[in-house]
Amino acid sequence: MAYSDKVLDHYSNPRNVGSMDKSSNEVGTGLVGAPECGDVMKLQIKVNPQTNIIEDAKFKTFGCGSAIASSSLATEWVKGKTVDEALQIKNTEIVKELALPPVKIHCSVLAEDAIRAAIHDWKAKQGAAKPVAVETK
Amino acid sequence: MVIDTSKTISAPASGDTTASCWSCGDMRAAHFCHACGKVQPPLPVNYFSFFGLPRKLNVDVLRLERDFYELSRKLHPDLNARADKREQEWSLEQSSLLNDAYRTLKDPIKRTQYLLRLEGVELEEQSKTATEKARASGEVKKQIVPPDLLEEVFELNMQLEELRMNKKMGEHDPALVKDLEAHKAQFEKKYEELAEELKGHWNRWDQAVDRNNGDERRGALDSMVDLLNRRSYIRNLVRDVNEALGN
Ligand code: FES
Repeated sequence: MAYSDKVLDHYSNPRNVGSMDKSSNEVGTGLVGAPECGDVMKLQIKVNPQTNIIEDAKFKTFGCGSAIASSSLATEWVKGKTVDEALQIKNTEIVKELALPPVKIHCSVLAEDAIRAAIHDWKAKQGAAKPVAVETK
Repeated sequence: MVIDTSKTISAPASGDTTASCWSCGDMRAAHFCHACGKVQPPLPVNYFSFFGLPRKLNVDVLRLERDFYELSRKLHPDLNARADKREQEWSLEQSSLLNDAYRTLKDPIKRTQYLLRLEGVELEEQSKTATEKARASGEVKKQIVPPDLLEEVFELNMQLEELRMNKKMGEHDPALVKDLEAHKAQFEKKYEELAEELKGHWNRWDQAVDRNNGDERRGALDSMVDLLNRRSYIRNLVRDVNEALGN
């Protein structure tokens, strides 16, 4: 199967690989897996608590090229968005952007799951820090 | 692995051709006519019924093997070379069906996956479906495998990466290798335990089939899906550790 140029670009030159301090209150971590193939992906976001804007994102993926490209793209996309905006990202958009073939759809699903899980983790931390939820929208 | 079920469960073109022998008109079996022994066109069967088995998971593999060899001898296209043209074609079709059915049923995991598919479980779709549900409800998606397993898998992958790095740089870290060996042993043990656990689910399924209990059947199917999911992570890990350690 041939990878698209965009996948190859993200794969050979992934953006935002790395990790952030998991215990920080500003950091949300999502660790997810694809049971179809046994691949795992970790995505972290750093959110400004005043603005709810995602200021930084990092990922680490052990999986196929499409999963690496999907998570690389996901970190690019969430940066600069508010958490609620980031929750709108759908795997189908990733599929479109990277021109993933049907057998690789689950790789993009993994990236969407990771974003949602990271945001969920961050929200849970805010909820624990102050009793009132941060979401104002 | 993708099993092509299209040719096995497709509906028969017409109902009456399947019950009687095309040649002598007597009652036919799945593969041969009981009366005249001629090869029959394949029936729309599944792999279980092809071997005359109930849709159960505890399979007598020795008997299956015996039946397989006997049938392959009888259905072998060469043996039917002098037969009618249609009969030759059928024996070719039946042979390939036989091979697929045997290969699937003799392997415990393939057999389980096949049954799940027959029962309408879409293993490939489950993750996507769960994501779509989570998106619609705004809830966070329930991960299909336990989080601590994911955590372990991730950590071990980090170590593997370090090991590969070391190798590339020509460095050697005996402590890391030892650690990985230990983890590997652990995961291999888990892998074996899964095989045992699977047998338990098989028994539950078979009993539920006997009792014709829908809830129990569902429960057994869910447990098997859950097990296969965990298994794919562990399988990958054992494979990757072996590769990185150079065994
Ligand atoms: S093949 Fe598993 S994430 Fe792509």
